[in-house]
Amino acid sequence: MKRNISKVAVLGSGIMGSGIACHFANIGVEVLLLDICPNELNESEKQKKLSLDSKAVKNRIVNEMFNKCIKSKPSPIYSKSFVKRIKLGNFDDDISKIKSADWIIEVVVEKLEIKQKIFDLIEKHRTPGTIVTSNTSGIPIKLMSKGRSDDFNKNFAITHFFNPPRYLNLFEVIPSPNCDKHLLSFLLKYGEKYLGKTSILAKDTPAFIGNRIGTFGIQSLFHQVKNGDYTIEEIDKLTGSIIGRPKSATFRTADVVGLDTLISVSKGIYDSCKNDESIEIFKEPDFLKKMVKNNALGSKTGKGFYKKIKDNSGKSKILRLDFDSMEYVEQKKVNFDILSKARKIKASNEKFKFLVSGDDKGSNFYKENFSRMFHYIQNRIPEISDSIVSIDEAMKAGFGWKDGPFEIWNYIGINEGKELMKVYGLETAKWIDDMLSNGYNEFYKKSEGIVQYYDLKSKKYKAKPGQEGFVILKNILEDKVVWSNSEATLYDIGSDIVNLEFSSKMNVINQNIISSLKKGVEIAEKDFKGLVIGNEGSHFSAGADISMIFLLSVEQEYDELNHVMKIFQDTMMRLRYSAIPVVAAPHGYTLGGGCELCLQCDAVVPYSETYIGLVEAGIGLLPGGGGMKEMILRASDKFKKNDVEVNILQEYFMNIGMGKTATSGFEGYELDYFIKGRDITVMNKKNQINIAKQKALNLFDAGYTKPIERNDIKVLGKQALGMLYVGVDSLRAGDYISDHDKKIANKIAYVLCGGDLSQPTKVSEQYLLELEREAFISLCGERKTLERMQYMLKNGKPLRN
Amino acid sequence: MREAYIVKGFRTAVGKAPKGFFKFKRPDELAAETIEFLINSVPDFDKYWIDDLIVGNAVPEAEQGFNVARLISLMGLKIEDVPGVTVNRLCASGLESLAIASAKIKSGMADCIIAGGVESMSYIPMTGYKPVPSYNTVSQGKEDYYWGMGLTAEQVAKDFNISREDQDVFSFNSHMKAIQAIKDGKFDSQIVPITVDETYLDENLKKQTKSEIFKQDQGPRADTNLDVLAKLRPVFSANGSVTAGNSSQMSDGASFLMVVSEKMLKKIKIDPIAKLTNYSVAGLPPKIMGMGPVKAIPKVLKQSGLKMNDIELIELNEAFASQSIAVINELKLNSDIINVNGGAIALGHPLGCSGAKLTVQLIHEMKAKNLKYGMVTMCVGTGQGAAGIIEII
Repeated sequence: MKRNISKVAVLGSGIMGSGIACHFANIGVEVLLLDICPNELNESEKQKKLSLDSKAVKNRIVNEMFNKCIKSKPSPIYSKSFVKRIKLGNFDDDISKIKSADWIIEVVVEKLEIKQKIFDLIEKHRTPGTIVTSNTSGIPIKLMSKGRSDDFNKNFAITHFFNPPRYLNLFEVIPSPNCDKHLLSFLLKYGEKYLGKTSILAKDTPAFIGNRIGTFGIQSLFHQVKNGDYTIEEIDKLTGSIIGRPKSATFRTADVVGLDTLISVSKGIYDSCKNDESIEIFKEPDFLKKMVKNNALGSKTGKGFYKKIKDNSGKSKILRLDFDSMEYVEQKKVNFDILSKARKIKASNEKFKFLVSGDDKGSNFYKENFSRMFHYIQNRIPEISDSIVSIDEAMKAGFGWKDGPFEIWNYIGINEGKELMKVYGLETAKWIDDMLSNGYNEFYKKSEGIVQYYDLKSKKYKAKPGQEGFVILKNILEDKVVWSNSEATLYDIGSDIVNLEFSSKMNVINQNIISSLKKGVEIAEKDFKGLVIGNEGSHFSAGADISMIFLLSVEQEYDELNHVMKIFQDTMMRLRYSAIPVVAAPHGYTLGGGCELCLQCDAVVPYSETYIGLVEAGIGLLPGGGGMKEMILRASDKFKKNDVEVNILQEYFMNIGMGKTATSGFEGYELDYFIKGRDITVMNKKNQINIAKQKALNLFDAGYTKPIERNDIKVLGKQALGMLYVGVDSLRAGDYISDHDKKIANKIAYVLCGGDLSQPTKVSEQYLLELEREAFISLCGERKTLERMQYMLKNGKPLRN
Repeated sequence: MREAYIVKGFRTAVGKAPKGFFKFKRPDELAAETIEFLINSVPDFDKYWIDDLIVGNAVPEAEQGFNVARLISLMGLKIEDVPGVTVNRLCASGLESLAIASAKIKSGMADCIIAGGVESMSYIPMTGYKPVPSYNTVSQGKEDYYWGMGLTAEQVAKDFNISREDQDVFSFNSHMKAIQAIKDGKFDSQIVPITVDETYLDENLKKQTKSEIFKQDQGPRADTNLDVLAKLRPVFSANGSVTAGNSSQMSDGASFLMVVSEKMLKKIKIDPIAKLTNYSVAGLPPKIMGMGPVKAIPKVLKQSGLKMNDIELIELNEAFASQSIAVINELKLNSDIINVNGGAIALGHPLGCSGAKLTVQLIHEMKAKNLKYGMVTMCVGTGQGAAGIIEII
């Protein structure tokens, strides 16, 4: 049976419930979000003389919880306009509405008897066959399914989201004992394709996979810090981005999660996993007890392992907790020799090998930490999962690790890992010894463009699941490389489509990337049906490489600068005017030049988490690579007879002038970077390049013809320019912007209006390209623009001057 | 010279814009119904006697466009014989139309004119639908000619050292005075009850109609206090002091007066109530348009031969608390006689209507207190001031 999910009921509107409701709204599902009615009036309700029966009171809890969620940052919702997909209500009045829901998700407090009451309600009102899932992170499903009807249990599972549901990509599914097999596979597939998550089948064991391993990781570091071998800031330095973990590393992550949450998860594991050989690790260390007593629970109480303060000069500063005094003290500068060396190693396998190769304090940390982790995960098989892939993927998706623990072990080498463990008196599991003695020396290997993993059951290598239908660039064989240079690779991704992958730092657009774009179009025109521009880096592209622009500007080599910009523009136009369809697949930061690139393509297939914007004003410039031209063209195409055109143009002006960035792959449509009906937003990153490839193929098959250059773009000239100048001046007078901001904004206004033409005029793309290039170069001659560029190059963030 | 007499004057209650009780009331209809009420208040009046209708309006476009005065005449008088002219001096439009009417009658060009103003800020945005500043002007650094009024209020606060606290206290007092005036029924006899019919879709998207009568100003807030006002953020400038709480409100409203010659007075056989004896306007830098009254008031006093001390009651339009305080300080005006029943910060400021509305309020209050000379004055956008002297008969 094919299931369609068009309406979901979420019962319980706490942080998780509201967040889950938002994420279903994100993907276009209608949501009913319910919570309990309050049992007494609050002060303002009393003042307004409301009673417990009035609607406003009955919905107060759900209203308050949901509003708090919506206002939280980063936003749980892709676009403010999606909020209306969620209807709020209460259990008393609205529970009967769950009969029209396709899926009912329980997210009430973690107490079995309360959950059972909710399940009673659900049984009473649900339509038979409706999916029911619980988002519990700790209550065994065998207890929850006790006493429920057959139809309920057949359609019952745990679907465990991670907080915040929009951003954390792990979706654990635990079936009820009598769960229908089709339902299980449906949930796993739905999680991947629709919710955009990594779906993992987990067993009914405490804390499932992600939290079990993740909590072990944090708790074991608590013990290392407790022993006084390392300080808080040292451990955070060692366990952050250097080993592919989030920047917040260990203790800052703990502060964000909240110590109370951590303690309760740890306690749950400690109480119910008596057979876990490392169970003592989960015991609450003394300092945690003291911290709880001091109300140092992390960000929510303003202090935890760290505390942010303002010093005398008003500058904010982050102090760290000293365990001896339980006071907050200045952080010490952390300096491990191996870290700076390791940073230079690009390949993961070499880096991890290097980290455990030395004999200094840093290396010893990794040796012990990895050994204990390896020891723990090997022993969790088959307890919590039968598959190493599930454990690795859960940690990557749920905790933002770039590499899973078995992958890390694989990089170091299974045998080498075994030797490390011995030093700490830790033994390898039998299944690993069996594996090694049978001649299997790797957990993972790549074969014919497919990643294989060691499957314990069959004792053989098997294709890693989840690759079917996806195009995974890093698995593609070298003989599929059509062309490459040191920072870009053109792959044949099948069906006569090529993909151009950037690999420059932050995928910035530099000379290598420019030449790869030209080459990509040239090769695709000759031998292929279409070109996809997509990559698997953290970000699609952080923009044009401004270092050269900066140098030429400083040296006042304006002719050379003009030449460079002309090449940049010409390359962008080459994407616009080619004989084959070009499709961009942006994700993450897609800024400045990266955005301009997307604007020239025939179609865009953004990932749902795409942050696209023309942010040049922030570094004292304006979009000079065809971005201005394209936005003017799009504004002009919007003008209809009798429109007040300046009002339409003004929105574009604000977006570019303020460097507005879309906060999702959906908001990008509202800013006109993506085009409704033409572009497709993809929920699962793994699926993105494949969909982009299909898009290019569709365009080709529909009979793609090289577009003709436009010369009918209506610019408004003086009619709009006066208005925009007044707007900019008003912002300056109101101290919202600086003098230099005003200068930049006026330049943007000038280009946007097509210059100071006496009347609205139809112009060509080339006219606009020249205008934007001229304005760009004139801004490069401004001292304050140079200061902005220099600051960005040095500090990676914009300067306001 | 002939005299021009005000015989009657009324105003509507003022609704908040854009979401107040007149949000569905077109400005032309609002004005037409006010005029109808005004005519009916004069017994044995023949509307064919009216020579002209002068309507002040600050943004005469869309529902206020197409010379809305003529349409109001057709709609309100229900005859086709009375012409109409729309007059625009932004916030002084309502007073300007009264001045034109008085001048025409004094010079013998007319015997009976209905004058006043109307504004719907619910329907028409303050800058109109298509603001098109002159590029040639603004590119010479004259952007401030087109500044929003809020910025000019900030400029005044800065140039004349008006503190945020003083602005908030001034605003709080405006509300308290207005609330008291409403409580005391001070406006009751000057307000035209207006019926608003609304056809709308209910929660279930079913068509519904409702009809409601409004006759009490919507703006004043009894529940405001200095703490609340102090918490509001500046809206026009990042580090400024002008907030939504210490600025006039956006409003909808209409107000009209009947001005006649001596000859007409005999014909309609009622006693006149007042005269607009003098009226002056003046220009100043647009950046500090709020100081307009500082130039207009001395000018009108000189014209009338009166001294400031002769003026017993003043309606000073509270465009912003900052400019109101600055004007009071600069001219050393007596605060006790200014806006005794609250001002635009509490009661609202329906731009083109305000001059007429303030005149109606002033006349009613002076009559009640048995005073002789009063003044209506206001600042006007793009750097102008206006002031008129009312003499009670």
